Amino acid sequence: MFINVMLVVRNLSIQYQNNQVLQGFELELAQGEIFALLGDSGSGKSSALHFIAGLDETHSGSVILDGELLSDNGQHQTPPESRGVGMVFQDYALFPHMNVEKNIAFGIDHQSKREQQIRVKELLFLVDLTGIERKYPHQLSGGEQQRVALARALAPAPKLLLLDESFSSLDQKHRETLAKQVRDVLKKTNTTAILVTHDKAEAVAFSDRYGIIKNQKLQEKK
Amino acid sequence: MALLVALPIFVVAFSWVLPKHELWAHFFENLLPSLIHSTVILLVGVGIGVTLLGTVLAYLVVMVEFPGRQWLEWALFLPFAIPAYVLAFVYLGVFDYSGYAQVWMREALGLPGFDIRSGSWAIILTFVLVFYPYVYMMARASFKRQKTNMIEAGKLLGASPIRVFFKISLPLARPAAAAGLLVTLMETLADFGVVSLFNYDTFTTAIYSAWGDFRSIEVAAQLASLLVLVAFFLIHFEKKARGQAKYYSTNVSNKKPYQAHGAVGWLIALFVFGVFMLSFAMPMLQLLIWGWGAVASEWSAKYFDLISSTAILTLSAVIITLMIATVLALPNRCKRGSIWLQSVIRLATLGYALPGSVMAVGLLYGINQISAVNIYFGGESINHIVFGSIALLLFAYVSRFMAIAYSSIEASAQQIKPVFTQSARLLGASRLKLVMQVYLPMITPGILAGGLLVAVDVMKELPATYLLRPFGWDTLAIQVYELSAEGLFERAAVPALIMVLFGSVLMLIFQVLDKHSSKGA
Repeated sequence: MFINVMLVVRNLSIQYQNNQVLQGFELELAQGEIFALLGDSGSGKSSALHFIAGLDETHSGSVILDGELLSDNGQHQTPPESRGVGMVFQDYALFPHMNVEKNIAFGIDHQSKREQQIRVKELLFLVDLTGIERKYPHQLSGGEQQRVALARALAPAPKLLLLDESFSSLDQKHRETLAKQVRDVLKKTNTTAILVTHDKAEAVAFSDRYGIIKNQKLQEKK
Repeated sequence: MALLVALPIFVVAFSWVLPKHELWAHFFENLLPSLIHSTVILLVGVGIGVTLLGTVLAYLVVMVEFPGRQWLEWALFLPFAIPAYVLAFVYLGVFDYSGYAQVWMREALGLPGFDIRSGSWAIILTFVLVFYPYVYMMARASFKRQKTNMIEAGKLLGASPIRVFFKISLPLARPAAAAGLLVTLMETLADFGVVSLFNYDTFTTAIYSAWGDFRSIEVAAQLASLLVLVAFFLIHFEKKARGQAKYYSTNVSNKKPYQAHGAVGWLIALFVFGVFMLSFAMPMLQLLIWGWGAVASEWSAKYFDLISSTAILTLSAVIITLMIATVLALPNRCKRGSIWLQSVIRLATLGYALPGSVMAVGLLYGINQISAVNIYFGGESINHIVFGSIALLLFAYVSRFMAIAYSSIEASAQQIKPVFTQSARLLGASRLKLVMQVYLPMITPGILAGGLLVAVDVMKELPATYLLRPFGWDTLAIQVYELSAEGLFERAAVPALIMVLFGSVLMLIFQVLDKHSSKGA
């Protein structure tokens, strides 16, 4: 059912101060596919995500996104801001001095004001938060902040969305509901995504396919 | 840029390379021992006084509910607006031999007269009343961060309020109080106005006399370098002591662990109110009485010049200082752990340890040397261009107050976590956009607070202004000092009042900002 290959990661290795945690990591994702990456703390799963985003460098590994070579042999050819990769962080990283509308519009300010407003409305409708444009992050609940962060990451229509333990700061009940909502949104927008988590049930429910990092290697499931 | 800011320090240290001046031998044999003696007495007395007063007041307003607590908590900051030398001349004017307090004591009570300038107690008391807010401010923020439940646990284990204070609260607040104490000691060491009004000899007065009376910039620089040594020692301990201490408070809970009812409550209120009266309200009242009587004869068109030159100097110094401090604080967020950058920042903020007089001497001496080299190579002296130029004075201000602006901006830059940078970059932000839309708005409260503190300090600054001011650029501070040095206290009250008024307004804005930022946190 997936035809176009969107993301290719080749031979990614990560080490922390001479301690090898990840070796020969390979991954291929089709357009619109959702992948979950499981592993214990310190297994290198978050570092792998940061490398794909172009935030951290390492000594080996290549990233090809939508046919374009972004990183080669551990070095980034394209900086994070020009990769077309979006990310939702564990603690959301919403800018505290901007309201919801400004936060979401941050990545699309090359568009006209009118276009920005329409896009913000569209995204808030998508994440089921209509009418909170003027609120500030500290006025929102954890789940609401999470959905605003998702809307912000989706606003520039990224080719790849990365979710770094994005549900882990919520309680169990909200986590399951939100994971399902986010999955629906990603499917609706046909966005390719990787979720990093240490919760297997969450990985199974959220993804089309998942893998576990064990003994420095990625073991794929499903 | 940082090197330039630290220039006076290098210049002063360099003075030791020069051949010994015979004047130095005179200073060394006759004056140095008594200088060290009087300076040490002053530092010890002021140190003990501000620590006791500052921590006790901070503990009372944070932990105990008593009548009037809410407004006293803020009122205790107000003495920051009064320059030390203003408080000094008010107390001299009231308690001097011919001051009305002493006249009344002699005539009505029949007590023997005394000389307020003899001994050290009066000058120590003056310094304590004017500098306790440093300890108060730091200790208060630290007490506020202590969780109420920790104190409640102590209470449930049967500890009395006094025991809780000594066993729980005080040890936790010690680093903050120590940081406040060290700032106080540096300020005391740097003071020129109070000591010269009290005829009390310290290093600072000796530096001034070496340059002013003996015209020996070498001896002045050598004395200054000793002062720098002590200041480095203090700044080293300040860094160690401060650690995580902040000037800001992040309010955890407004609930007071202790309620002081009845007589005890009123006694506490009386004590705190008494400190406020002695350090701010009574001096202000005295200034108003003197100012009211003298304003008709003292006020003239000259004051428009004084106010405008004070305002121009203050504003320019604040803008330049904030710009440099922001430039230094921002990359420190992005590239943490860069040793090179750390050393640059350390260099640029060293000026805080330098008394204004040392700063001035360092600058004058440095330029003198540049001229000498220039003449040696067949050029001309640059002294006449640079000496007494506004640029030199502004340079001294910026160098001296950089640390205040930097630490304030740095404190608010700490909330810029790496994820904000990462997420902005992933959303396609250029570096310029990152700075303009994310970094700057997030550190704006710190920039504003730093600007206000620098403004208050520049306006009050006396020694560097006195030595470096261009002709025709007298400030309000100079006017206060010159009139009060001649004992014309009534007339000095007029410029002093204008300064205190401006200072109080700035301090009130600072408090509103502080309240706002502790709410948002």
